[in-house]
Amino acid sequence: MTDETIIKERSRPGFIAGASAQIGLLAIVAVLWLVFSTLAPGFTSPINLFGIGRSLAVDIVIGFSQMVVLATGGMNLAVGSIGVCAVMATGFLLQDAGMPVPIALAGGLLLGAALGWLNGFAIVKTGVNAFIITLASASLFLGAMLILTKAVPYNALPPEIGQFGRMRIGGYVSPLLFIAIAIGVALFILYRHTLLGRQILAAGANPRAAEMSGVPVGRVIIISHTLSGLLAATAGMMLVARLGAAMPSVGGEDWLLPSFLGPVLGGTLLAGGSVAVIGTMIGAALVTTIRSGLLVLQVGNFWLQLFLGLILLAAVMADRYRGIFLERRSMGRK
Amino acid sequence: MRLSSDKIRGFAASSILAGFAASFGAMGIAQASDNKIALIPGGPHPYFAPWEQAAADAQKDFGIAAVDFKVPQEWKLNLQTELVESLAAQGYTAFGIFPGDAVGINSTLTELKDSSIPSAALAGCAQDPTDAAFCLGTDVYNSAYIGTKELIKAMGGKGAIVHLAGLLVDPNTTLRVKAVETAVAETNGEVTLLQTVADTDAQEAADQKINALLAAQKDEIGGMIATGYIPSVVASKSLRTLGDKRIKFIGIDDDQIVLEAIKDGFVSGTMAQNPYGQGYIGAYVLDLIASGSCTVKEDAVWIETPQTKRFIDSGTLVINADNLSTYKDDLKKVTTDIQSNFKDKYLNCQ
Repeated sequence: MTDETIIKERSRPGFIAGASAQIGLLAIVAVLWLVFSTLAPGFTSPINLFGIGRSLAVDIVIGFSQMVVLATGGMNLAVGSIGVCAVMATGFLLQDAGMPVPIALAGGLLLGAALGWLNGFAIVKTGVNAFIITLASASLFLGAMLILTKAVPYNALPPEIGQFGRMRIGGYVSPLLFIAIAIGVALFILYRHTLLGRQILAAGANPRAAEMSGVPVGRVIIISHTLSGLLAATAGMMLVARLGAAMPSVGGEDWLLPSFLGPVLGGTLLAGGSVAVIGTMIGAALVTTIRSGLLVLQVGNFWLQLFLGLILLAAVMADRYRGIFLERRSMGRK
Repeated sequence: MRLSSDKIRGFAASSILAGFAASFGAMGIAQASDNKIALIPGGPHPYFAPWEQAAADAQKDFGIAAVDFKVPQEWKLNLQTELVESLAAQGYTAFGIFPGDAVGINSTLTELKDSSIPSAALAGCAQDPTDAAFCLGTDVYNSAYIGTKELIKAMGGKGAIVHLAGLLVDPNTTLRVKAVETAVAETNGEVTLLQTVADTDAQEAADQKINALLAAQKDEIGGMIATGYIPSVVASKSLRTLGDKRIKFIGIDDDQIVLEAIKDGFVSGTMAQNPYGQGYIGAYVLDLIASGSCTVKEDAVWIETPQTKRFIDSGTLVINADNLSTYKDDLKKVTTDIQSNFKDKYLNCQ
């Protein structure tokens, strides 16, 4: 459920806590922007803003690809593998098969969706936990891709692919960011305004109750995994544009952490039944801001990981305490 | 107190000299460049350690405002490109980069060029078409070929050898494999290639593969050549542990473990690369290009490799027991030669 849909079904204090969680997260991002731009003027330079925007766009879509399965109470550890499979398939279609760009991109996206569907199908039909199935399929997909491509990158793609990735709107905004926002809007509408969205959240919140209410739980799990695969493939396409090449070294395990960070920081429950589309975007923005800010501040590169962990922990703790404080205050008013 | 005429003359001479010195000093400052140059490896690796000293020396010797050695926290392309972008945002004016990925780095190099920031590939090349001004690195084919020849010489011209190679997906590995095969083929069957053990340029893989190889086929192996840093170190350690001086071994790079093994007779030699020279010369040339005083000469005598048409060999030599104490001077001489001739050979300067 998006935070807004929680309004309808939970108490007012719950809504306040949920909505303010995102406002709090946004405030943390704003404070960090203020700190970084004050301490390091290069932080707000066009080249850095462009870089942040582009990284953020990819991180948001990777976060969405995890969020849509977290909504069902599952998870997808194969987002990176699906992403790189789609990347290499697109590279093959463009370079070796000589297909036009739109068809090749559609082919890559379709493959991503198909691999996601396979995950969902296996989970529903076997009844095995999504963790196990997607852990296995992550290796399976990656291995098959390496065997088929021999890990040779496609680097003679049509130049317009790379040009799109380098395009700057207004001097410092990447068009990839608009794609990520458009996907966010579509997901927001899905979960807030459609029957399918509500069914997915119901299945995630309590599968047994949802089943008894006539929700086709198996079907919505398969659809969610298909959507996850499609979104992972989209993130892969964005990286193809970013690099101007289709490389076997993108995706994989590297996507695992960002795929969870954005949604979880943003307020999506790991237990399922609730999603936070805007929160995922803000969560991804927090991670991207911290990473870029520390780099521009020239914090020793080997310290970056440590600082990232500490700041994320502090941000989450602060957010948690603020939520508890608001909850108690609201209860006190009753 | 009166000053003697000698003292007065001495004072005058000192003053003149001091004046000249001050003038030269001022000239030096006037000529110093405002460029900020970053030398960025693909990730943490002992091979690049000399770049730090090279950066400091280049900054001092050529009067560059800053030459900094910046290491991505992990060996991942996205971390390298994010580091490059953040440094560009901080006002760095030129980049010497070991590509984290030969293909994937090109998009970033193009963006740097679009922002009028020159870049060069150091120690490893970016795949053509690329916006890197040039690639300064080891001619890996030549290095592996010379190394194999040295090994064959150490083996007395006959026997079976094993090639400990790096990552199979690395195009340089293909070149090295070909070079070893060529050198072996030139012996007309006197020397045979028993096995090429690939993917050994990681500690765990090298440990497992090399020790298993020695355990199983020690008696059949007459010699080994390593063309990666880590297998070179691991094989040197293994031969010392075995106490085997019969198996001849040629390594690569000058890790202290390998040098000690050469000194003690467990290793015949190692192929020195020139990471210091790559960093030092790279910073010098990038400063000239970033200052706008020089451009890369299109019709220079570049070496063509499978990756790029603009390759410059940074030099290679064999380190053995004879030159163990002097090879650093030899490498410095190679560096000085390349640096002093670089303008004439590869640049058009105003």
